[in-house]
Amino acid sequence: MIRIRGLTKDYDRRPILRGVDLSIDAGEMVFLTGPSGVGKTTLLRMLYAAERPTAGEIWVAGSRVDTLPRSALPELRRKIGVIFQDFKLLRRKTVLENVTFVLRFHGIPPREAHRRAYNVLKRLGLHHRQSAYPESLSGGEQQRVAIARALVYQPRLILADEPTGNLDADLAAELLSLLCDINYQGATVVLATHDHALLESLPARTLVLHRGGVDYDGMWPP
Amino acid sequence: MIRHALAEGWLLLRSRGLISAVLALALAIPISLAGVTLSVRQWLDPVIDLGDRESVVAVLLHPRLDEAERRAWMSNQALSHPRWRLVAVEPEELANRLATWFPYLEEIMQRQGPEMLAPMVEIRTVNPETVLELKDHDEVLAVGPTSSVNQVVGRVAQRFAVVLIGIAAALVAGAVLLAAVWVHLEILRHGEEIAIMRLMGATEATVRGPFLVAVAAPALVAAVASVVSTLVAVGWMAQLAAPLGLTAGGVPAAILAGEILAAAGLPMAAALITLERHTSDGER
Repeated sequence: MIRIRGLTKDYDRRPILRGVDLSIDAGEMVFLTGPSGVGKTTLLRMLYAAERPTAGEIWVAGSRVDTLPRSALPELRRKIGVIFQDFKLLRRKTVLENVTFVLRFHGIPPREAHRRAYNVLKRLGLHHRQSAYPESLSGGEQQRVAIARALVYQPRLILADEPTGNLDADLAAELLSLLCDINYQGATVVLATHDHALLESLPARTLVLHRGGVDYDGMWPP
Repeated sequence: MIRHALAEGWLLLRSRGLISAVLALALAIPISLAGVTLSVRQWLDPVIDLGDRESVVAVLLHPRLDEAERRAWMSNQALSHPRWRLVAVEPEELANRLATWFPYLEEIMQRQGPEMLAPMVEIRTVNPETVLELKDHDEVLAVGPTSSVNQVVGRVAQRFAVVLIGIAAALVAGAVLLAAVWVHLEILRHGEEIAIMRLMGATEATVRGPFLVAVAAPALVAAVASVVSTLVAVGWMAQLAAPLGLTAGGVPAAILAGEILAAAGLPMAAALITLERHTSDGER
């Protein structure tokens, strides 16, 4: 599903990632961890082509992302469900509209989109707030809307950037369980976190980024 | 996709309806004024044409020239200046003209006979200034005024027309600036939203559609307002110009078409350029 060769990323000549090589197979669940500022978010952003690498190759779902033309980006991104650290919700739309909106890009008819969105919101315990606007939601609720939006079109790859950052322990465990279910159904899940409790709650392949490279690649706890 | 563009475009418009309407009218003002200016400039065409008409310059020849010498001098001038038309004014005719303007001379001329007058030649030309070279000829006593009212009026009208075109160009430039700033700020206001849509896998057509709809609607309002106000203003000015003898026509169709094109096209072009630039400056 994901193959990375010699990935390097500099910001203003300051190296963030240096010659990273890694492969993630379809159906895997992988934690990406490391201290703050180590490049977890940068790596994820390069996977959904929000940033170009300084050097190296990135392959996602059979497409070479680092050289992908702009016109091909929508198709790539429709295969990926991204849970953003800063939620990226549309402020002028309600919770339900935020989730159904993305289904329009997939050509899902409005009624079906509404049904799917409601089901996902119900699963995340947000169906009673479907008419609310993001501004009126708590941080945790906004995060769950962002999660619902990423899951609603059942993508083959889910990239989650600190998805439990604003959730309490119970909700974080519930989210992890949800991602496990999705992974069990065949989706590949890459979850960036620096939450050790989360890492220890589920034995899974873990990539530890440190000083611009992959310092550890294996099951966690070791 | 069209349904999506219309629905989302309507939402964008609804949230900024009043401001969009005000900006549309603000855009219509310079475009309409440019249309009025160009229409008025067209009225000046017949006046400008006056400047190209022939002027008559009177040349007094020396009284010592006899008939044969005068005719020889005229032939020489006709040969060396093919664009001049030289006509000899007979002494009786000159006497009549002078008597008309200066009645007190009539008695003197009757007493002494018209032969006392210096022979006069009238030169008709579109370039009356060229006649001034005759001042240096020994045969020439004096050269009359070389500028005519027609030419002065024509030249003034020509310069005024250039000024009007300059004003119209400045107004159109103002309209371009207004449209560019308005649309640029409007789209930048939704920059985050556009970036999110792109990250969610929306195609460029899906992203741009609503914004183009939201810009097209006020642009059409601007086009209609501009055309209507031009027709009203030009009609009113035509009434004012009629007593001045200016052939004040209506607004030429080309000017109305230009206004529609500018009012509708400028914001759309600004939207397309801004969205394109936003793509290249965006997340990627």
